[in-house]
Amino acid sequence: MKDHSRAVNSVALPIVLFCAVFLVAGHLMGQQSSGEAKSLQKMSASSIQIEAPDPGDVPLPPEFRIAVYENLILQIEKTGKFQHVYRSGDKNAANVSDLVTLHTRARAFTEGSQKKREVTTVMGATSLTVNVRITDHVGQSIVDRDIKGKVVLMGENLGATYDFSKKVAKIVRDTF
Amino acid sequence: MNIQNLKVDLAATTDLCRAGRHLGARRLSLLVVNASLMLSPVLAHAQAADIPRVAAGEVLQVQVQLIVGGQSIKNNSKGTLSVVGSSLQLEADGKKVLVDASSILDISTDKDSRQDITGAAHLAAEAIPYGGSRVLSLFSHQIDVLTVEFRDTNAAYHGAVFAMAKGNAAPFRKQLVALGAKTTAPPAGLAPEKK
Repeated sequence: MKDHSRAVNSVALPIVLFCAVFLVAGHLMGQQSSGEAKSLQKMSASSIQIEAPDPGDVPLPPEFRIAVYENLILQIEKTGKFQHVYRSGDKNAANVSDLVTLHTRARAFTEGSQKKREVTTVMGATSLTVNVRITDHVGQSIVDRDIKGKVVLMGENLGATYDFSKKVAKIVRDTF
Repeated sequence: MNIQNLKVDLAATTDLCRAGRHLGARRLSLLVVNASLMLSPVLAHAQAADIPRVAAGEVLQVQVQLIVGGQSIKNNSKGTLSVVGSSLQLEADGKKVLVDASSILDISTDKDSRQDITGAAHLAAEAIPYGGSRVLSLFSHQIDVLTVEFRDTNAAYHGAVFAMAKGNAAPFRKQLVALGAKTTAPPAGLAPEKK
């Protein structure tokens, strides 16, 4: 009889312990994921205004500055997250209560060469790093990150601005 | 014995010659295909460079490629850029966009280069073995880039970038500035060439 109870204990105890560990771990993971969900809670805004890029101290050619701005507008419109995407200075944006604003400031720029890129495959990359800051209607930062756009192999130099704007659009999708 | 050897050698030489001719013909055909691939865009470009400038009074008109910022006109569309009255007009894809010279905040010119072999020919060239297509990337031509920044009737800020044949951007800039467009760039003309 004693042998029988010992045998039962030797089998049941590890199972009970395993279940207890499993339950505790599950509970802890549940708490963690709910915390993550809280941190990933998306913002909501009906409209966004894209400010003209600030070249800062970086010698960013005008065509790159404009390509950054226009590509940003196109890509953010494509996200479908906002009812209106206002351009810088648009009078209609003044009456929007939950307007968020996207500011860009150039941090670094290296103009490469399409010919070098395509002939050597390792040289001539064009890259630009731009600080992206999205603020709410009271001016508080929602996003503040440096984003790099580049064209490494095929394509024209201005392709770096397209790469940059696609990355910003992804951030906007993740945030709103 | 010697005569037999000579016959054998002769036969071998004849075979080599045939093979050589065959190889030569293949090389020649490859050369012709490559040359036609390389030259067709160059010739097309040469034709495009002879853009007829309509000189009716002070009116300028050139073929351009809209790189970005055409509002209702799609990016990379090809069309005609002209100065009509006191406005800059882009006509492409059956649509027209007009920008009044007085609403232009800045107008600048720059230089860039474009590959001569693009599109389908470029894709076809990718099939050349041992990275041979890279050689084709050496064939490029200089272009002018015209950048225009302006505000619309709602004071919203816009920008547009156009690529056009070399030497065409500066006259546009000059004429638009004369019509009231503002510019921050020095009046000396184009920036130094890029490689």
